[in-house]
Amino acid sequence: MEKFIIAHMYPALMNLYGDRGNLVCLKKRMEWYGLNCEIKSIHLDEKLDFSQIDMIFMGGGSDREQGLVYHDLLKKTDQLMAQIESGLPALCICGAYQLLGSYYKSHEGTVMDGLGFFPLYTEGREGRLIGNILIESEFNGQKVSVVGFENHGGRTYFSDPKLQSLGQVIIGHGNNGEDQSEGMRFKNLIGTYLHGPLLPKNPTLADFFVYAMADRKGLKLEKVLDDTIENLAHEQVRYKMISGQKS
Amino acid sequence: MQNIRKIMAILAGKLLIVLSRMAGNQGTNFPGRLALKIYPPLLKELGKNTYKDTFIITGTNGKTTTTNMIARIFRENGSSFIHNQAGANMLPGITTAFIQQTDFTGRKTFDYALLETDEANVPLLIAQIKPRLILITNFFRDQLDRYGELDTTIKLIKEAVQGTDIELLLNADDPLQVDFQNQKGLKYWYYGFDASNYDSFTGAESREGRYCVLCGHELEYTRYHYAQLGKYHCRHCNNQNPQPNFIAAELLMDPSIHLQIDKLLIESPYQGFYNAYNILAAVSLGKLAGIQEKVIQKAIANFQPSAGRMENFLIRGKKVILVLVKNPTGLNQSLAMLAQDSAAKNLFIALNDNAADGRDISWIWDADIEVITDDKARIRRVICSGQRSGDMAVRIKYSGFGIENIIIKPSLEEGIGIAISMESEVSYILCTYTTLFASRNILARMQKKYPAPLQEKERTPEKAL
Ligand SMILES: [Zn+2]
Repeated sequence: MEKFIIAHMYPALMNLYGDRGNLVCLKKRMEWYGLNCEIKSIHLDEKLDFSQIDMIFMGGGSDREQGLVYHDLLKKTDQLMAQIESGLPALCICGAYQLLGSYYKSHEGTVMDGLGFFPLYTEGREGRLIGNILIESEFNGQKVSVVGFENHGGRTYFSDPKLQSLGQVIIGHGNNGEDQSEGMRFKNLIGTYLHGPLLPKNPTLADFFVYAMADRKGLKLEKVLDDTIENLAHEQVRYKMISGQKS
Repeated sequence: MQNIRKIMAILAGKLLIVLSRMAGNQGTNFPGRLALKIYPPLLKELGKNTYKDTFIITGTNGKTTTTNMIARIFRENGSSFIHNQAGANMLPGITTAFIQQTDFTGRKTFDYALLETDEANVPLLIAQIKPRLILITNFFRDQLDRYGELDTTIKLIKEAVQGTDIELLLNADDPLQVDFQNQKGLKYWYYGFDASNYDSFTGAESREGRYCVLCGHELEYTRYHYAQLGKYHCRHCNNQNPQPNFIAAELLMDPSIHLQIDKLLIESPYQGFYNAYNILAAVSLGKLAGIQEKVIQKAIANFQPSAGRMENFLIRGKKVILVLVKNPTGLNQSLAMLAQDSAAKNLFIALNDNAADGRDISWIWDADIEVITDDKARIRRVICSGQRSGDMAVRIKYSGFGIENIIIKPSLEEGIGIAISMESEVSYILCTYTTLFASRNILARMQKKYPAPLQEKERTPEKAL
């Protein structure tokens, strides 16, 4: 059986609550599809050959932690960006998403450099953007709703309007609370503010990564998973948001 | 003049306590806050009225239960003591406790003061009242602490006790507390668990304290008692558990707790490893306070779990246990507790996302739900309820629990009904905060209505559901 490796980047530093849910979800779904998946923790100063892994996952952390990670990733940027260009699946949440851009400017005015992979930047403001969020996204030509929870002080803006967002905000704040955009997409990379268990409640999104991983190994997935419970959870929170907005 | 202000402050405080009680409030913080405004050194002065010792109890989990157990030991011993109520563990609440129990002149003395407080509040409290000893239950990173606040808090406590003769009573099994022993000039006591039959050898995946606080490398465990508490060592810097002064051994949970602490046999109606830790901490403190072993033994044996934290009902002749869960640690504790109960069981979990529960329910993914899939836990059905029953059901599904045995019922009434009517010897009802009181009412009503065991023919056929 083909073995898949998902690299969990800096779990000791970049790990907001619930991030583990995304990894549990990917691993389980791959098992259900009959694929073997290993989650590998990557720590600071650890060598990693990005061409030997099938996906990277990175969550958010505090400013201090993000600084440490930035310096470590800086040593790996060329190889990492080359892999992303060639379609390496990657999920970057909150702080990890911000790191993909050119800089993060805190509310107090200190500027932290980003990796500069994509034309976006983040500015911290007073008042965090918190709450359930509903966005509309598109996968394989189908419109799909994505639900999650956001909690971020940073406002992210695209400096190049051609950059693709993950989706359009229906309810909630998204990248900056102004332009209705949420997250970013590039090939098989997704950056987003939707933290915690994003994938379990959005099986389409989870399968986007699973299919991308399988595809890169030339595998075809035949099986169809029963997502009744996942879809019910999705609808429950979507309904709660939509009806809450009306009242 | 000073004296008059002090008496005024005490009188005003006492009056407010009475008034807010009459208004149906607990009246725990406001009286103290006002009295401190009238006479700022009030807490400092009243704090000197302990004739023997002042003890501060802090930590992330279990401090209320531990403090209540110690209070029981002191009561059994016939000692007089000041004790602040749970939920009133900041300075105003502690001041209220002193005002309530002192006389009008503020001179009445007590044997002990037993002050429960939040970790972050310890330095502030020490600045007002110098304790003989600080007991720390454990340090857990819960969902509010993903930004390193706990590290800051630990550092502040260390700085506050630096250069004083305050003793510390610490958990030897908690890797987050080991850093204290590097602090020079302090008196340490440690309590810890010996190997037990309830230990596990594989780490749960939650990330609590798995990294060495001294050098940042991953810790290696030879055994886990529960969560990050266990026997650990760091290969990189040789950091390992300190040698405990008080050792608990021969733990038996059947499911109520029996254990030996340095040959002293302790029995308690409580359940769960985390409560065994609370008992060990309370007994260790009792011993340090010089209380006789027989008195300690009796106090712990007679100390019953308080309402809400764990409450038992008898419905249709079947035991139903109601437990409040607020965070991943609490959920882990409850699941570990029920996994140790050898009876076949149904598990009902109600999850709401109101403000009091926490709007963000991501934390359910940080709990080690996977323990429910262990055959020994004997869980027949999991019934998911509440506003976010779907999210809970997804979490249960991804733990590996069979979907054919997961039932989703957003209505508490219906969900509890199913949990109790279906085949099992016992039902565990786990509730987040805003589902607790409604669930308790439902259970109380059912207990009254259906005291007798269900007749065979009345049982709901399992396949019908
Ligand atoms: Zn170390």
